[in-house]
Order: sequence, then C-alpha cells, then structure tokens
Amino acid sequence: MVNFKRYTLQNGLRLIVHQDTTTPLVAVNVLYDVGARDEHPEQTGFAHLFEHLMFEGSVNIPEYDNALQMAGGENNAFTNNDITNYYLTIPRQNIETALWLESDRMLGLSFSEEKLSIQKNVVSEEYRQTYLNQPYGDVWALLRSLVYKVHPYQWPTIGKSIDHVKNANLQQVKDFFYRFYRPNNAILVITGDIEPDYAYKLVQKWFSDIPEGELYTRNIYREPSQFQERRLKVERDVPFDEIYIAFPTGTRLENSFFISDMLSDVLGGGRSARLMENLVKKKNIFSETNAWITGSIDKGFFAIMGKLHKNQSVEKAEQLIWEELIDLQKNLIPERELQKVKNKIESTNTFAEAGILSKAMNLAYYELLGDADLLNKQNEKYFAVDDVTLRKAANELFQPSKASVLHYMAND
Amino acid sequence: MMIISARKYAPALKMIDEVNFLKPQKSYLHNGIPVYMQKGGSQEIIKIEFVFKSGSYHQEKPLQAWATANLLKNGTKFKTSEEINQLWDFYGASLQVDAQKDITSVGFVALSKHLVTAMNLLLEMIIMPEFHEDELVTFLKNRKQKFLVNNRKVQYLARMHFAELLYGTNHPYGKRLQESDFEKLTREDLVTFHHNNYFPANCICLVAGNYPETIIKTLDKSLKKFAWENIKLNQVPEHKSEITPKPKHLLPRPNTLQSAIRIGKPVINRDHPDYHLLSVTNTLLGGYFGSRLMKNIRQDKGYTYGINSALINLLRGAYFFIASQVGRDVKNQAVEEIYNEIEAIRKQPAGDAEINMLRNYLAGSFLRSFDGPFMQSERFKEILLFGQDYSWFQQYLVTLKSFQPEDIQRTAEKYLHENDMVELIVG
Repeated sequence: MVNFKRYTLQNGLRLIVHQDTTTPLVAVNVLYDVGARDEHPEQTGFAHLFEHLMFEGSVNIPEYDNALQMAGGENNAFTNNDITNYYLTIPRQNIETALWLESDRMLGLSFSEEKLSIQKNVVSEEYRQTYLNQPYGDVWALLRSLVYKVHPYQWPTIGKSIDHVKNANLQQVKDFFYRFYRPNNAILVITGDIEPDYAYKLVQKWFSDIPEGELYTRNIYREPSQFQERRLKVERDVPFDEIYIAFPTGTRLENSFFISDMLSDVLGGGRSARLMENLVKKKNIFSETNAWITGSIDKGFFAIMGKLHKNQSVEKAEQLIWEELIDLQKNLIPERELQKVKNKIESTNTFAEAGILSKAMNLAYYELLGDADLLNKQNEKYFAVDDVTLRKAANELFQPSKASVLHYMAND
Repeated sequence: MMIISARKYAPALKMIDEVNFLKPQKSYLHNGIPVYMQKGGSQEIIKIEFVFKSGSYHQEKPLQAWATANLLKNGTKFKTSEEINQLWDFYGASLQVDAQKDITSVGFVALSKHLVTAMNLLLEMIIMPEFHEDELVTFLKNRKQKFLVNNRKVQYLARMHFAELLYGTNHPYGKRLQESDFEKLTREDLVTFHHNNYFPANCICLVAGNYPETIIKTLDKSLKKFAWENIKLNQVPEHKSEITPKPKHLLPRPNTLQSAIRIGKPVINRDHPDYHLLSVTNTLLGGYFGSRLMKNIRQDKGYTYGINSALINLLRGAYFFIASQVGRDVKNQAVEEIYNEIEAIRKQPAGDAEINMLRNYLAGSFLRSFDGPFMQSERFKEILLFGQDYSWFQQYLVTLKSFQPEDIQRTAEKYLHENDMVELIVG
C-alpha cells in the first residue's frame, strides 16, 4: 500500500507526495503529458529530441546537470509514445535544489541554435547505436508500422528517420515547449523522507509563479479495426531468423489490459511459461521466446517473439506458436497455473514498492491515467480475472484476421 | 509568490557528512557457513545469496563455471527442470545466478512469507544438481546463438578483445570465448566443477531484507535435509597475465555505422592506499554525466550518445578503461580528444567549481549506493570479498572530504598516463 497526499496548484500543476522514512533520499518525478503520439508525421522523434534539450540550460540555470550533481543528485529521463518522464534522486536535505531545477526548466529554456545542433548529433548517434548498428535493431519499427496504419504509434520514439531529427529547427522547439511543457500538462511526484504538507509548501514556493498554458486537446486519429491478416517478410544481415506475431489489444484503462497482460504471462512470463517450456525446451525450435503487451494508453498490441534455431522453418515455427494460442482458446488454464501468474504479479508489485524512485514513477503514471490510487488497486484487478474470462479473451484476441506477422530473415 | 530573481541563486546546500551503514550481524550455520544478516526495508521481502569463492578463474575449460551455475536449476536428484522453474514462478520468487570471474553467486529474492519454500529449493539445486546431458545440450545450443548475435555487435567485440589485450589469451580474465567452446563442454565437466567448488567451506551466505528473528534456525532446518560434504580446499590455480606489447589495435568491421573504442590499462587494486584517489580521478575523467569525457565528446562535439570510464576490480588484477561508440567518420577525432582529456587532467589542476561538484556528487552517489538493505548487502559483499571492513568505506569518505586538485593531478600522472594506455578500435 502506497499512501500519498494530493495537491493542485493554481496554475494546474498536480502534486503527489508519498512519505517513506526508511531512506535518507527523496525522489522527484516530473511527468509531462506528451509523447511520440503527439508528433506530426513529418517531424517524428521530436518529443525525444526535446527531452535532450531539457538538460541544456533553463532561464536562470545554465547547466542542469552541474547544479544537480553539486547537490549530490542523480537524474535521468525517458520518452515513450505516450509520455516524457524526468526523474531524480537527491539527499533529502537538498530537496529544494531539485525543485529549483525542475521549476526553472518548466518556466523556460535557454533555447540556443548551437545546443540544438549538438543534441541533434547526439540523438543521431543514439539512433545509430540503438537501432541501425544493432542486429535486429529495426524490428520494433517494422512491427509498429505493420500494426498501426493511422495512429501515431506507427513510429518509434526515436523517430521514423534520422532526417526528421536533423530537420528540427529552433522555432519548432519553442512551440513544442510552450504547448506541452506547461504546469497544467505536468504531474509532479515527490517520494521519500519528506512530510507532505512541507513538500507542498516548497512546491508552492518554486512552481506557483509559472504561468499555465493553453489547454491542449489531443486530437489523434483512432486506429481502425483490422479485418485482414498482415504479413511482412524482410531479409537482413543477421545470423538467425526471428518471427513476431502481433494482435491489437484495448486501451490502458480498459479491463482487458489486465486480462491480456495475464495471457502474456501465461505464454511468456518466466522460465516456466508455456512458450519457454514447449517451444524452447521440449521442441527446441527456438533459442528464445517472449510474449508481452505494449500497455500503451491508446489501443496497444499483444506481441509474441521467437528466435529460431538454424535450419528450422519459419512457417513451422509460426504454426507451433498458433498451436499454443489455440490451446488457450480451447482449454481453460489450470488452477495452479493461474495462481502462479497471480502470485508473480503480487511479488512484482511488492518489489516495485521497495524503492522510492519506482514508487514516484508509478504514482505519476497512474495519476496521469486518472488516479494515483490505481497503483494500490492493481492487484485486485488481476486477482479478479478467472479462467473462463481468459479463455474468452484468448478467442477474441488471437484471430488470424487480426494478426500482424513479421518474418525477419537472415540473409546468410 | 516567488520573486523571479530569487531563481538566479541556487538554494543553500547541506552536504552529506555521514552515511548510515547497516552493519551485518554475523552468525554461523550448523555446518560452519558464515551468515551475514542485514535487516530492514519498507517491504516484507527478503534476499538470500550463497557466494562461492570460485568463478571462471578456477575453471579448466571455457564456459565451465558459467554453465555449472546456470544448470543448477535444470534438474536435481528429485525434481525435473520444469518442476523447478514452475516452483520458482509459482512462489513469485526470482532465482538469481551470477557466475563471475572470481566468484559465483546463487540466490533468490522473494516475499518473506515464502522464505522456507524458496530456501529448500535453493539448497536442493546447490547441493544435488543432476546436470542432465540433454539439458546441457539445449542450453549450449541456445546460448551459442546468443553468442553469435553478440559477435555482430562492435561493443561486445571490443569488450572481449580488450580483455584479451590486457591479460593475454592464456589468462582466464583475457581468454576470449570461441564458437567451438560451445561444442566441447561435457556433462562430466559440470559434475567435476560442481564437486570441486560448491562445498560449504568455499562459501558464505548473505541475508538481507525483512526476515524473522528465527532466521538461523529456519536456514539450518532447510540445510539439515541435505547431506553436504566438505572437500579439501583446492589450491587456487596460478595464471600469469601478459599484456600486449603493442599500444594501438584496430579490428576492422567494414559494414558498421559506428566504431567501438576502448582505451585503458591495468591499475592498482582496492587495497592500495591510492585506490580511493584513483577512483575519484576516474570519476572526474569519465565516471559520471558531468565528466570531462562526457562534456567534451558528447556535449561539446556530439560524436557519441555516451562515453564513460570505469575501474574494474577483479580479485587478481584490476584495470581501468574508457569505452564509447562513436560515428565511424569521427573515430580518429574522438580518440584524439580522449587523449587530450587524459593529458589535461595530469597537466592542469581542476578548478574549485569542478572539484566541489565532484566531491558533492560522489558523496550523494555513495549515500545512494547504501539505500535499502539489498544495496547495503551488495556493498558489504564487496568489502567482504576483498578482505576489507567498514573502515575502507570510512576512508573513502575521508578522501572525498579532503582531496585537492593536486591529488588528482598526481594520481593521474602516476596511474593514468596516456603513454601507458592500450587502445582498441573495432569498426
């Protein structure tokens, strides 16, 4: 159970504070409600590039990292398709430094051509390092563009191409900032050894003079339903074939999220999961398999992955995956197996509550979804799912006409 | 309402003057295994770990130590591999196996309420593994595939080849894994390595988190279900390392977009009196986001997504290295800038602002590394393995508070001279 207090500033900034006295540190998490889904199709990768610029100096502070390190803090950030999230930990006595830094870069950035140009280079190298110069590095981008034809989830956070990042200009950067990086589009969470009302006072001191922005209304095309199987076969300079099968799922707020998440655990969660036991170990057609859901806010997808051994046919491999899915459609999951999945969820959530940083991130994310207290209600939602519900969901989910199949073939 | 100009000045800082060490309680299991216990944390969770003082350094064949550790879970005298995996997953406990160069650690994290079940299972795996032939074959086949994929990555190649350059191909720290190694390992190799290394007198037990007062009784009760014999402690093999005589190495990979760079050298280990200063010097050069290398090569030049340097503490020989992946077209410029930075540390004293930032950052980072019982346990493991005690940490804090710019210059001059470095570029 994660107890917290919630406050809202006049400018719309939401604040959540959770006190944990077992640590000498505090964690500060600032979530901005903007991600790659908010990008223009011709300016992809922008939200992530912008994340880099948030470290390049603000109105009154030339170097974010220097000032934070000076106070014994450490930070990082990530951008995904839905959100941009900044987080740090700092010795509790220096909490004001963290608020000074976060409030100043919410107030305004220093915006320089030179810094933009350097960060464009850094992001280009990141693009090369994580996508282009890695075997199988483009799998995720291919899969997204197969599953989504309309919705902006069709491109990865890093962007469709390096050119989009390279073409970004300073005016676009400024517009983006004033559109999305306003207090009323952000959620601030503080966890650790700090009294909530005291935290609120400090937050008021540092954040209340930041003007609120115009309300941003998200206007994203919905992905239409899929009625026909989609297939893509590519050849790449890699040593082994891989296969991916994806099926559209619901949104993060629907109950189906918990159900499809459990199905993915049955298939791919841990060494005893079905794909591992049956296809990696018993039949040994794959060296590795996995199954997971994307869990995005708008409609996500269920993905199954298999890395084939040499001289195994990809068609046969696909057939074997289907057999596992059909089993879930025909038969009820045995009681003990279902209990196993629930036990795993319980411990995963308990472990996540052991650290102030993961608590801060989770509280911010659930507050974005509508209520930070959803964090404390996760277990019940999973525990309420029964075998009949799972079988029904497997029938709705795993339909050949809704599948997107990617065969990623080795060219040697 | 805040007066905007007040933002110009950083809030007053209070520096960390002490760190609360959760010093372990020590006890013994009935067969003499020492147990170190660190209690605490907000959650009802527990971590138990058996650390064996054997790793790949002690093996006779490549992959032997690693495969032995990883196959403990693939069947015991009483349970199949599937049954074992099912049990770990059923109790939501996670088995953690880490086969390193000097040690092997086998343990779990679990909800405290599953302590007994998890402990019984862990001991059964450690004491009575079967190492079935077919399990080994599948394991090696799957892992060979992973190895072959890794071989396409410049950063992986650089790491492997660099270790070979520093220690030589005959030393276990330097010997590079070959594809054919995956075909040579037999069941017998695992049985032998297990017999020679997994015995009570060769291990210690670490317990962290929230555990009952009766923990030792509980552990002993589990332990008494099994016959676990000691054998005579083996003589640790002697291996002589042999560093490459050539300073610069290039491993061409024509079709890559980026080149991986590694530059480094062997250095003093943790018990040397200069070690703490070397550690501080390393951080200044490349050990944090505000480091000289990061500022120059990423933030000023945009050559890379990241660059870092580190000290690797192995029990039988430490080393220092700098690593980065840079655009192929700028690799020579990047290497030149790296040497410039090393030289600058030696030649010019760092300014007060930078020294203060480094001091404060390291103090915060030190505090952070002791946050919670699991992390306290990790840090305790370090000093235990190197035969040190908490005074080593105290000395580190003293160094942090007192080091001066000239200490850094002197340390760099002595241990990180650019003329002594081995350089490797892949791609």
